[in-house]
Amino acid sequence: MAFLEIKDKVRAGEPLGFEDGVALFQHPNLLDLGQLANEVRERMHGQRTYFNRNMHINATNVCVASCRFCSFARLKPGDLGAYTLSLEEAWGRLRARVQAKDPITEIHIVNGLHDGLPFSYYTELLAGLKRICPTVHLKAFTAVEIFFFHQHYGMPVEEVLTRLRAAGLDSLPGGGAEIFAPRVRRKLCADKSDAAEWLDVHRTAHQMGLRSNCTMLYGHIETIEERVEHLLRLRALQDETGGFQTFIPLAFHADGNAMQRLAPPTGVEDLRTFAVSRLLLHNIPHLKAYWVMLGLKTAQTAQWFGADDLDGTVQEERIYHMAGAETPQHLGVPDIVHLIEQAGRVPVERDTLYNVLAEGSDLVSSKPFRRSLPQVAGALS
Amino acid sequence: MTGRVSLAAVPFLSARPLTYGIEHGLAEDHFDLVYDSPEGCAGRVSRGEAQLALLPSVRYRHLALDRGLDLRVVPHLAAVVHDALPPEVDGEYDLGALVGGVLGGVDAWRERTGLPFVSLLWVGRNGAVGLEVANQLAHSLRQGLAHLRDIATAFAQVHGGDPAHHERLLAHCLGYGLGSEELSGLDAFFDHLHLAEAPSSRSPVPARIRLFDFAFALGSEKPEPVPAAGTKGAMPGVDALLSDAAAGKRLSPAECIRLYESAPLLDLGRAADERRRFLHPRNRVTYIIDRNVNYTNLCLTACKFCNFFRPAKSKEAYTLSREVLAQKFSETVAMGGIQILLQGGVNPQLRLDYYEDLFRWTKANFPLALHALSPEEVSFIAKQEGLPIREVLERLIAAGLDSLPGGGAEILDDEIRHRISPLKCNTETWIEVMREAHGLGLRTTATLVFGFGETAGHITRHLERLRALQDQTAGFTAFICWPFQAEGTRLRLGDDTTAQRYLRVFSLARLYLDNFPNLQVSWPTMGPAIGQVALRFGGNDFGSAMIEENVVSQAGAVFKLSAEDIERRVRAAGFVPRQRNMRYELLPIRGGAISVRHDGAGRGAAHPILAGA
Repeated sequence: MAFLEIKDKVRAGEPLGFEDGVALFQHPNLLDLGQLANEVRERMHGQRTYFNRNMHINATNVCVASCRFCSFARLKPGDLGAYTLSLEEAWGRLRARVQAKDPITEIHIVNGLHDGLPFSYYTELLAGLKRICPTVHLKAFTAVEIFFFHQHYGMPVEEVLTRLRAAGLDSLPGGGAEIFAPRVRRKLCADKSDAAEWLDVHRTAHQMGLRSNCTMLYGHIETIEERVEHLLRLRALQDETGGFQTFIPLAFHADGNAMQRLAPPTGVEDLRTFAVSRLLLHNIPHLKAYWVMLGLKTAQTAQWFGADDLDGTVQEERIYHMAGAETPQHLGVPDIVHLIEQAGRVPVERDTLYNVLAEGSDLVSSKPFRRSLPQVAGALS
Repeated sequence: MTGRVSLAAVPFLSARPLTYGIEHGLAEDHFDLVYDSPEGCAGRVSRGEAQLALLPSVRYRHLALDRGLDLRVVPHLAAVVHDALPPEVDGEYDLGALVGGVLGGVDAWRERTGLPFVSLLWVGRNGAVGLEVANQLAHSLRQGLAHLRDIATAFAQVHGGDPAHHERLLAHCLGYGLGSEELSGLDAFFDHLHLAEAPSSRSPVPARIRLFDFAFALGSEKPEPVPAAGTKGAMPGVDALLSDAAAGKRLSPAECIRLYESAPLLDLGRAADERRRFLHPRNRVTYIIDRNVNYTNLCLTACKFCNFFRPAKSKEAYTLSREVLAQKFSETVAMGGIQILLQGGVNPQLRLDYYEDLFRWTKANFPLALHALSPEEVSFIAKQEGLPIREVLERLIAAGLDSLPGGGAEILDDEIRHRISPLKCNTETWIEVMREAHGLGLRTTATLVFGFGETAGHITRHLERLRALQDQTAGFTAFICWPFQAEGTRLRLGDDTTAQRYLRVFSLARLYLDNFPNLQVSWPTMGPAIGQVALRFGGNDFGSAMIEENVVSQAGAVFKLSAEDIERRVRAAGFVPRQRNMRYELLPIRGGAISVRHDGAGRGAAHPILAGA
């Protein structure tokens, strides 16, 4: 399929097919892809680039799954580096932010699959957070965790979701999708939920009126065809439910896990993946350049390759940092605003559901430049 | 076409495909063609009897240097020798006289330089012919290439020899074209001849190929028209400027400012990528293995943006001992490095004889090229010794200096320089050192550092100074830019130094510096990801697999890449990686470490062209 024909399809608003996707991943001219993805991005979002004020809580890294790409999990309680936060500790993190008058709007909660905790640990965790800050949006538990709860606690997925929702759950993050192809899952993460199970959890959540995100972990052993197939399966579910808000491509980071021999994807491959994702996923509104993973420089550049979101202020990210990410663990709003403005885009602070909270000149940029930006050596990577 | 055009051509077999169409009725009302010896053809052009002559490249050089004629070369149409020619026909090509005795033949040339050897060029005086004639000549060549067997047979009937042999030669040993690699090959050839002449009798600057003015209208495809998106429709003129610049039209300073201020990032990048593809059609990205050695950090210049220097009284001030240098140089050789990038502070304790001794000692003991001393250091030594810059350079060259790094340019605008580095050499001195260096046959790089609150006008003036000097000397090999690294310096970061701005400045430089062959990406400051992405914004060189770097890493930039890692990233961006030397000559592809012969006799010693001479 020639690039020009694909371009015509995109301009005519026709969905792209499997072969189109493969051809785009193989198209030699990166800037062709970038310009076409940017056209779509500007058609959907104009000059806006979104971010939010959020914090991460990773309540435990104890995990029964043994994914080979993970540097975060410690398999058993008591293993070196294994931790499980007490509810008081987890709540304390939010209290500290509230006391610091930090107006966060979202908590992102993702954990290991701990087989020694009662289900009430999770419901109380959510309920307690809501007690401290009733307006905060709780985006918690990947589909893999939800499916684990279903198996481990012997409840249907719908009941798991209903009980978590009653405790305060607002939406699901998009993690755990990795690559859907069974060949890859057998090699990377044989003991966690498969593609159908992952998609089912999201389908159920969407049917209950919960929104969610979706992801793809790329740059390890997957083929281009497997990437395209993955994206098309996400697109098919979105056609069915319309419940995905944002797609987040996640580059594989190798430090400290079982796959250190693999070289990480390069900048050109990252930008290419963003552009192709924007073009294939015409029905998923947002594309997020997660700066913790990409580095600030590539995340900024991705705003011209289809992305319209940078994630948020992200306090205390642990998962990517344990895999060698050299980005800072936190960005101030002025720094994010500045980064977006220097990309030639209009910064928009959103909540989790993309309601606009502040836009453009309402937001204060860090001009004149604050010296806080390169806090960590290599922070601007 | 008006009037008849007189052509002269050498009667060699290799010339025949170029003249075939003309001999066989193409535009017969318009062309008169005579065959003559190389001397005869050269005479016809210089006396104005022929508008164009198909000449050996070495004759072009003689004419350009000896007679001072404003000669021009027709682009894209030249004969190129790819493979060794059998000795019995070598004479037909004048190659014995051209290269045989000095260079050891075409094979040796290829091995040493990695560049094609251009044997024949269409040469005429400036303005003698226009695009239409060039198009007819291109047509003539296309017909010739379709009739190699006829050419071989006809040639054998007149000059003897085996037609089948002639045909093989035409099909396998010769090629036709004059792109950027062929032009680099000619540069290298002319440099070589220049350096082989006695300094007293040689011209101030090596000969250079100058193409007819219509050159850039040929051969480069216009970029696809880009649909209006976002705010672009509100900026008429930018698209036209970009497509013209992508096709090779020279940008004016005003146009440069306009593009800097209004062109969307990816449009700029596309135009630069287009231009890069025209200049480097073989999709190669080069890099060098060298080591950055900072022999002293004691510096009187005290630039506000520097976190590397130490004042004379500081306990942390150092000058590396010979033992330390020997260690670093040996490691460099062991790791496959071919060059030392030697730069230091401006240290008043070190005099000219220190550098002369250091260079002689380096050349006597290590097979390493010396890419050493930025203009600031050279001008300081000249001031300190009370000598003209030229004499300082001559003495350093005699001691073993191979090339100058283009550092210390920052922004070549005295308004900015006065603010950030009041004690450093001014714009005029920086340019003067480079002019003298180029005149002495040294090649140099040029740099730009942004992020000091400069305007589009300052950046444009900087690029304009470089482009103007390059027009006169053709001595710059490459341009490199990067953002100011602020950590630990006395200068507050008060300007945009993000990836976005880097890619803008970089791609604009590719378009503005139309006479710079190479643009090097700056991964040490921008990180490997954006360094790699910049290859798609006009870059064709990945810089150095640096074994050591001390200056920007003191101000917050700490990235490291091995040669393998560089090659992986270059390939992932869709290019073919090749190692090069400072002069951008490709090194032979091989598995082990790079070794370069040296004889310790000074400047040419580590130069691969001269190494075997």
